[in-house]
Amino acid sequence: MSGSSTPKSLPSSGQKSLHDIKHPLSCSPGADEECDGLVVSDTPSPELLHTEPSSLGDKDLSLPNGTPADTSSPASSSSLLNRLQLDDDMDGETRDLFVTVDDPKKHVCTMETYITYRVMTKTTRSEFDLPEYSIRRRYQDFDWLRNKLEETQPTHFIPPLPEKFVVKGVVDRFSEEFVETRRRALDKFLKRIADHPVLSFNEHFNVFLTSKDLNSHKKQGATLLSKMGESVRYVTSGYKLRNRPLEFSAVTEYLDTFALKLGTIDRIAQRIIKEEVEYLVELREYGPVHSTWSALEGELREPLEGVSACVGNCSTALEELTEDMTEDFLPVLREYILYSESMKSVLKKRDQVQAEYEAKLEAAALKREEKTGVPTEVEKCQDKVECFNADLKADMERWQNNKRQDFRQLLMGMADKNIQYYEKCLTAWESIIPLLQDKPEPK
Amino acid sequence: MSVKEEPSGLFDNEDSEAGGESPEGDTTGAEVMAAEESLLKKFEISVSEAEKRTGKNAMNMQETYTAYLIETRLLDAHNEGHSSLDCLWRRYSEFELLRNYLSVTYPFVVAPPLPEKRAEFVWHKLSADNMDPDFVERRRIGLENFLLRVASHPVLCHDKVFSSFLSQENGWKEALNETGLQLKTDSRLKSLNATFRVKNPDKRFTELKHYSDELQSVISHLLRVRARVADRLYGVYKVHGNYGRVFSEWSAIEKEMGDGLQSAGHHMDVYAASIDDILEEEEHYADQLKEYLFYSEALRSVCRKHELMQYDLEMSALDLVSKKQQCEELATGTVRTFSLKGMTSKLFGQETPEQREAKMKMLEEQIEEGEEQLKVQNEESRDFVQNAWLEIERFKDQKNRDLKEALINYAVMQISMCKKGIQVWTNAKECFSKM
Repeated sequence: MSGSSTPKSLPSSGQKSLHDIKHPLSCSPGADEECDGLVVSDTPSPELLHTEPSSLGDKDLSLPNGTPADTSSPASSSSLLNRLQLDDDMDGETRDLFVTVDDPKKHVCTMETYITYRVMTKTTRSEFDLPEYSIRRRYQDFDWLRNKLEETQPTHFIPPLPEKFVVKGVVDRFSEEFVETRRRALDKFLKRIADHPVLSFNEHFNVFLTSKDLNSHKKQGATLLSKMGESVRYVTSGYKLRNRPLEFSAVTEYLDTFALKLGTIDRIAQRIIKEEVEYLVELREYGPVHSTWSALEGELREPLEGVSACVGNCSTALEELTEDMTEDFLPVLREYILYSESMKSVLKKRDQVQAEYEAKLEAAALKREEKTGVPTEVEKCQDKVECFNADLKADMERWQNNKRQDFRQLLMGMADKNIQYYEKCLTAWESIIPLLQDKPEPK
Repeated sequence: MSVKEEPSGLFDNEDSEAGGESPEGDTTGAEVMAAEESLLKKFEISVSEAEKRTGKNAMNMQETYTAYLIETRLLDAHNEGHSSLDCLWRRYSEFELLRNYLSVTYPFVVAPPLPEKRAEFVWHKLSADNMDPDFVERRRIGLENFLLRVASHPVLCHDKVFSSFLSQENGWKEALNETGLQLKTDSRLKSLNATFRVKNPDKRFTELKHYSDELQSVISHLLRVRARVADRLYGVYKVHGNYGRVFSEWSAIEKEMGDGLQSAGHHMDVYAASIDDILEEEEHYADQLKEYLFYSEALRSVCRKHELMQYDLEMSALDLVSKKQQCEELATGTVRTFSLKGMTSKLFGQETPEQREAKMKMLEEQIEEGEEQLKVQNEESRDFVQNAWLEIERFKDQKNRDLKEALINYAVMQISMCKKGIQVWTNAKECFSKM
């Protein structure tokens, strides 16, 4: 029966699509690539095959797949807004919402120890009752916000949070460096949302920034979350898309390669830091050896002490370089790796929405032969897909622009740091030349 | 034994082209001295070539070694219209023999060291193979430097064996043997290793010995750390090279950023490659330090020779004192201290007056001889101390000059490395800014 009712292009062999669906936060680019191909282009879902015949009889069966339906109208309006505001946003002058994360504090309770951060908001937007807010949030709260945004804005790229789990023993979660790195990442996360023409108007974001009692809001959302989870799962059935827009395939492909390359750069950068730290260890011994020697000498004392001091200065410069690279360079790479992973999962959702639409269109076409009239359900679905596409295109454009600026800044920063390092060493070495030449041959 | 044939001629040195790096490619020290001293005014000495050879050693075993071409040119030869150029081949073991000879013949001289026998203080990029072309080249420079050091030395430059080393490929070994080197080496150098208990050590030499010990330890420490520093620096640069590849790969998927990334990647390649030359140049600095590491051994050897001389002197003096005492005992018939002689005379009765006369006469002769010998030894010792001190002062000047120069060169190298680094990163930044 399935053979007659499903599109001819679908072989009924694939059985693994469900297992292959990755968790949206999964971050293995290689596996995702594979999975993407299987789910979207090759393998039909058995579930889809089985449910479709019944959908012929019951138009409303697709209602549980209502995730996009909830957002279809806000999404379409927002995508318009998005496009209108994009240009304004680029010059940065129309920004009316400023958020900063600072002042981390450690809280020690009987049950747990955690860090809170101060989140300060300044705004002229009418959605906010006050022009300024200052509240404290912990990582969990940020996590809640991100989940809410993912639920309520499924058609947008949500910026990533810093990784939640850190391998125990490698990093002290309460160390100053760790907290500072995390603070910066959280700050970046909120700033990206605040600058986003759609996300920044999200009610949960508003609550996050302003509410004194976030926990009550969290409880409210709990039931909704489980419902969402279900519906999302329902939609994730694989299906070969008829007309998957080329640009989205290209974006997925792009993101795979992008994440892969960034992963490589991340490894290289870490390796360089490691080599530099080891180099630093040796320099720390190298300088003092010259001092030891200078103690034996008369005429050579000053030159040797000069070299010793010089090596010391170079070590300090090197230490600064490695610290800067660790604090400024690596986190940005990580953010973008996570960003691209979360973007890929949104793209997958888009494919699912399109799959749903195509399935319904197909079904409707069969039906039309018997009855007449275009089902509104199908039109709704088409709207959904189009809104999704529009939102993603706008977001992608934004993201590309941000990325380009961020990486230009990041890489120029890396070059600058290295130039500064060499300049410091240069100054140090140049300053000892006169010392070495100072005493001419007493001949 | 034949001196002519290169392979087997000087088998008694264990060397068959061992070693790697040679100290000091820099000849400035020697050049400065050349202005003051004679031989280099008249001659131009160079070790111009190295050649790999195979031959049989004394045990009739096949061995491979490297021979070096020494060219000595008479500087005012152009007046006579013909070139007066001596060219001959020597191997490392012959250089060693020459140095041994010089060190034994001129015990007060801080003998210029030879380049190291085996590569030491190497970092991982450097091969420790003795036959490696880079090491042969480094040794060539080191051997040349050694000859220049000897030729510019105020005392060593006049040595006949040295001249024949430069001018007579054959027969040099015979000339060397005629000097009785073997005898001296056997009798004296061997005992050098013994521990002497000198009663009245010369404080200056004790201090100098202490200094040379410390110098040796600090330079070897420095060289060890420098090798590790070089290793790490190499790593830092080379890992940057990976950026070159990944930027290029990344650029393929980018539109606006692509060109900037691609060319920045190129600069990263340049950066990674630049370390090879930098570290190769630094190896010369290491060679300069190594020369002084070995010099510290030569310095200590002068101190030891002084110790030995002092020891001999003290032994002679002691001997003389005891003979004088014996003589006095015989003359007065009293035994001041308990001695075997005193015991025997008590046990077996007094000797006849004739016997005593003869004994006393013999003793007096021995005393006279001993006094004469002591006088000679004292003079020798005085001369030695005087010469050695002159030599040590000269050496100190040379050392200060050379090492200051080496440090300046090192600083200049570092400056050039920094400038290269700034250049590359500025170029890369330019590319990034266009993204």
